[in-house]
Amino acid sequence: MSEYVIEMLNITKEFPGIKANDNITLQLKHGEVHALLGENGAGKSTLMSVLFGLYQPEAGVIKKDGKEVKINNPNDANALHIGMVHQHFKLVEIFTVLDNIILGAEPNKMGFLKKAEARKKVLELSEKYGLQVDPDAKIEDISVGMQQRVEILKMLYRDNEILIFDEPTAVLTPQEIDELMEIMRNFTKEGKSILFITHKLNEIMAVADRCTVLRKGKYMGTVDIKNTTKEELSRMMVGRDVKFEVDKEPQKLGDVVLDVQHVTVPSKLHSNNAVKDVSFQVRAGEIVCLAGIEGNGQTQFVYALTGLDKMSHGKITMLGHDITRAKIRERSKLGMSHIPEDRHKHGLVLDFTLEQNLVLQRYWQPEFQKYGFIKNAEVRKYAERLIRENDIRSGQGPITTVRSMSGGNQQKAIVAREIDKNPELLVAVQPTRGLDVGAIEGVHKQLVAQRDAGKAVLLVSLELEEVMSVPDRILVMYEGEIVGEFDPKKTTVQELGLYMAGAKNMYRDVEKKGGAEA
Amino acid sequence: MKKGLISILSSVISILIGLLFGLILLLIVNPAQAFPKFGEMLTAGFSSAPKLAKVLYQAAPLIMTGLAVAFAFKTGLFNIVASGQYTVGAFTALACAIIFQMPWWVCLIASMIAGAVWGFFPGLFKSLFNVNEVITSIMFNWIGMMAVNLLCMNLKNAAGLNVMLPTAWVSSPIKDRTAALSYANPNAMIPKMGLDKLFNSNFMNISIFIAIVVAVIMWVILNRTTFGYELKACGFNKNASIYAGINAKRNIVLSMVIAGALAGLGGGIYYLAGTAEYTIQKLLLPMGFNGISVALLATSNPIGTIFSALFISYIQVGGESLQPVFAKEMIDIIIAVIIYLSAFALLTKTILSKYIRLDKSNVNAEPASAAPVKPDVKPTLKESEGEKA
Amino acid sequence: MIVLADVISSTIVFAVPLLLVAMGGMFSERSGIINIALEGIMIIGALMGCLMMRWLDPLVTNGQLGAQLGMLIATLFSGVCGLVFSVLLAFASINLKADQTIGGTALNMLAPALAIVLTWVVQGQGQTTILIPTWSRITEANFGLTLENGSFIQALLFKNFYLTTILTIFLFAIAVILMYKTKFGLRLRSCGEHPQAAASVGINVFKMRYAGVLISGFLGGIGGLAFTLAAGSGFQSSVAGYGFLALAVMIFGNWKPWSILGASLFFALFKVIGAYASSIPFMPQFKELEGTSSYLWPMLPYIITMILLVLTSKKSRAPKAEGIPYDKGMR
Repeated sequence: MSEYVIEMLNITKEFPGIKANDNITLQLKHGEVHALLGENGAGKSTLMSVLFGLYQPEAGVIKKDGKEVKINNPNDANALHIGMVHQHFKLVEIFTVLDNIILGAEPNKMGFLKKAEARKKVLELSEKYGLQVDPDAKIEDISVGMQQRVEILKMLYRDNEILIFDEPTAVLTPQEIDELMEIMRNFTKEGKSILFITHKLNEIMAVADRCTVLRKGKYMGTVDIKNTTKEELSRMMVGRDVKFEVDKEPQKLGDVVLDVQHVTVPSKLHSNNAVKDVSFQVRAGEIVCLAGIEGNGQTQFVYALTGLDKMSHGKITMLGHDITRAKIRERSKLGMSHIPEDRHKHGLVLDFTLEQNLVLQRYWQPEFQKYGFIKNAEVRKYAERLIRENDIRSGQGPITTVRSMSGGNQQKAIVAREIDKNPELLVAVQPTRGLDVGAIEGVHKQLVAQRDAGKAVLLVSLELEEVMSVPDRILVMYEGEIVGEFDPKKTTVQELGLYMAGAKNMYRDVEKKGGAEA
Repeated sequence: MKKGLISILSSVISILIGLLFGLILLLIVNPAQAFPKFGEMLTAGFSSAPKLAKVLYQAAPLIMTGLAVAFAFKTGLFNIVASGQYTVGAFTALACAIIFQMPWWVCLIASMIAGAVWGFFPGLFKSLFNVNEVITSIMFNWIGMMAVNLLCMNLKNAAGLNVMLPTAWVSSPIKDRTAALSYANPNAMIPKMGLDKLFNSNFMNISIFIAIVVAVIMWVILNRTTFGYELKACGFNKNASIYAGINAKRNIVLSMVIAGALAGLGGGIYYLAGTAEYTIQKLLLPMGFNGISVALLATSNPIGTIFSALFISYIQVGGESLQPVFAKEMIDIIIAVIIYLSAFALLTKTILSKYIRLDKSNVNAEPASAAPVKPDVKPTLKESEGEKA
Repeated sequence: MIVLADVISSTIVFAVPLLLVAMGGMFSERSGIINIALEGIMIIGALMGCLMMRWLDPLVTNGQLGAQLGMLIATLFSGVCGLVFSVLLAFASINLKADQTIGGTALNMLAPALAIVLTWVVQGQGQTTILIPTWSRITEANFGLTLENGSFIQALLFKNFYLTTILTIFLFAIAVILMYKTKFGLRLRSCGEHPQAAASVGINVFKMRYAGVLISGFLGGIGGLAFTLAAGSGFQSSVAGYGFLALAVMIFGNWKPWSILGASLFFALFKVIGAYASSIPFMPQFKELEGTSSYLWPMLPYIITMILLVLTSKKSRAPKAEGIPYDKGMR
């Protein structure tokens, strides 16, 4: 028997205009946790999609137990006992947990579902591995953590031996991450082999046996974790030394720019409130970070703050103006800029040209229109300046259709547009999502430059590294409430984690104490 | 520029395949007559000045209904209610002309208002309640047609006679169509300015020029104004337009109102020509549905609608010469095939642009920077055509 | 009393095509394809079914073929022809990823024109109506009964009784089971909600969507014939907007079979109330108006549809991925 359970040898996969995988080799041993490290866009997901049968490579072979195999679709992968937890969960929201687990591998008699049998097996698996789920709950009603357990159960239900985890920790609290690591180790004890895709070095150091590094679609090598360091891995990943620090000038706090009082936002999904009684202030010259696990009300709060959605209670004041019920355009005129969480949903009109997108927030200003007629020459001049200053790359410059641009350049365009508005308050929601390390540094610099210029910045982030390095103040949000406020210099990731997971609450605990005294 | 060329080419290819399909169908039905009749159909529109006048006469309302569909497309709405808007526009124009004895231009304004009202409701339902506008449109088409018929049959003058019908004006037994403008109110007829003599046809008047001017105005609005920018932003990505502070709900309603006014005007100019009376019938008027064909063939470009309306009017006039050997609905089949093909114009365009790009990359030698052809591009109708040049 | 019997039996006979076609729409849309072409599919189904009855007519009148066997053949034929016609929609929207609304609209334009041309070819110039033979109806004689013509029972059971009614009950039961109790149904629904998830567990989204569209073609075709039988005046290359009404019924029924059943009966009832308004005692009669029976009352179902769609819009939940072409590369 071969030493390796899976071998991907010299894999090349091209997309129009880009070599996503260029001669990449990855060998997975029996019973190991093998990390696949690389930046966004390094080709990790493409490589895994090849292994999972979603893409066919132009060159290279895949071997299972030393024998060459062809994987044309997920069914083939499944037949080889390869399973995958996708970064974006592949779950049907209106189906129950049970239906999602059996989908595609339904126990049936002449096409009729045998759900009782399926339920028994799912409950057994769930008990055996400590993966608590409610088989009859609908996916749309359960937490992200439970959704991930459903994804893992999907693999176990299919008796998969090779488990691929694609960026599984992005949506988890530090404590949940520890649990996941434990589960992974349990799997390897049973002889299952794990491929763990990530760009987080700490996690690799904690759980992996070996690590393969990709950079810009190329193979950089495979190393034993025992014999390497975080610094070496990061050099392999990025190609140069990375600073984990962000340079900031000493803080010059100004007046209050944003004052949020008791904001409550009803949820669209359930009868509960998505945002509950949130109050805080942001002053000129500081970066305040709203941290938390995805889905704890940050999105809904930002929608209410920026006017995309209505709140049921509370008051928002900006620069002394009550903007609780102000229209989006009014907020924009007052000096609010918004780098949205989802650039395709909100940030860009993908079928517009780059120049049309760059004036999306300003086309109505006298600079760009007269009597309702757009001044095309001015728009062009403005777009060319932003493109030049921000190094936004595209096929045809200002007249490129934004849809055809890379994600990183799309994000650069949005950041450039919002910051060039010279806002008093910049609301930046996950502004570095999907960017590579160089671009992330660039965005961080721009945020800090705003702060240093005496503007207020509200950063919403899920990335702990960003949360620890960029802001002056951290507010942790859990289930729609602010549960703690921290100085990044005086706190630790572990402490933040307890708050992000809801295990601790600064205010609730104080209240309890107060109650006890009375 | 290149984009425009590809759009035109792909439309031409659709047309050629559609015509070929029609020819094959003729050959199957009646091989002996197929070729002569097909030739007659293709040449009829140019065969004489009066025939050409008829092409232009029918093209005018087609341009208007085509614009009505195309304009709504730009805001991401499918305006199938053009038929209903056209019908209520026609009725209102005729009512103003016959009952209130208004001059032609007042009647036309009235037809626009009526069409606008008929666009307002589907737009409102879409924007406030997110009711699928296609379903609303169909309902409003039927409601409009039936309401107009009821009104035609029941509006009485002081003497108790049906004022919309010929009986109130001349002694006539006809009860299924409105009174002719020639005796009811000649002032309401759209001026001919001598064109009728030039073309030797009573059908000819200035309506085709009105339609062309409106098409050009629509092009300017869509491509040169902030209003057009907002409408298109809203059509391509409603969420992003809201994020940019654009009032998407208002724009959806406004776009349907404008579309309705355009279709209503179409109804007005057709029936105020004085050559046709509104006939009470149980089916929806095809002019509105042909507007869909016009808009699709023109890939929603307002200038393009002028040409596609002329083309469709041309082959419809040709279709009359197919009778009685073949049903004139043969033309509808050809048009339907063309629309079906233009539904996957995206594919044609991708093939064409590949071919054209190959040609160009030899000159420019910059293949790497060329934008990858994304297969997941928005549906064809949402393809933006007239980028800001 | 007779009016009541008439209303009930007409409601059922008009609910049948609505139910069939709305169920067809449901299969298509829950697989992810918006099927606006149902109107056209109905026309093709009705055309071919009526032509088949015309061809079988001599055989049935000679007694060589049982009347209801003939009906079964005609019904299945209309279903198969609807299915074949729907392939055009499936091909454009699934293989070529064309805009589903435009593709469907083209088919809606094609169907009536094709019907007129074919009717001319078969029946000769200008003959635009295909008449329906009398043997299409199931009568009390089929059961060896003799009932007084115009009696309550006769009017209730046999005035508007067709094979399609029986068939629809079967098809409905099959549809419910197929949708919720089988592997196929689970997979079909997943394709309309989250095709990427379906593909990731090895489901062939293309195949499932084809299945959805073709089933809608089959049901839509039979629905077309059922409508023509219900309308009773022969086939005139039109189904009077019933395809669209069925879509509204489907939306009103929230893409679920039992709710669709309720919605179709409800709509049919209003259609029938419109038709029988002049003989229903408590309805306002508007005697001073002309054309109430042809234009005022028939407006009723359309207006009711509008109002209901607006009122229920908040609860309406369309399949999430409908209308979006599935692309393997998109994740």
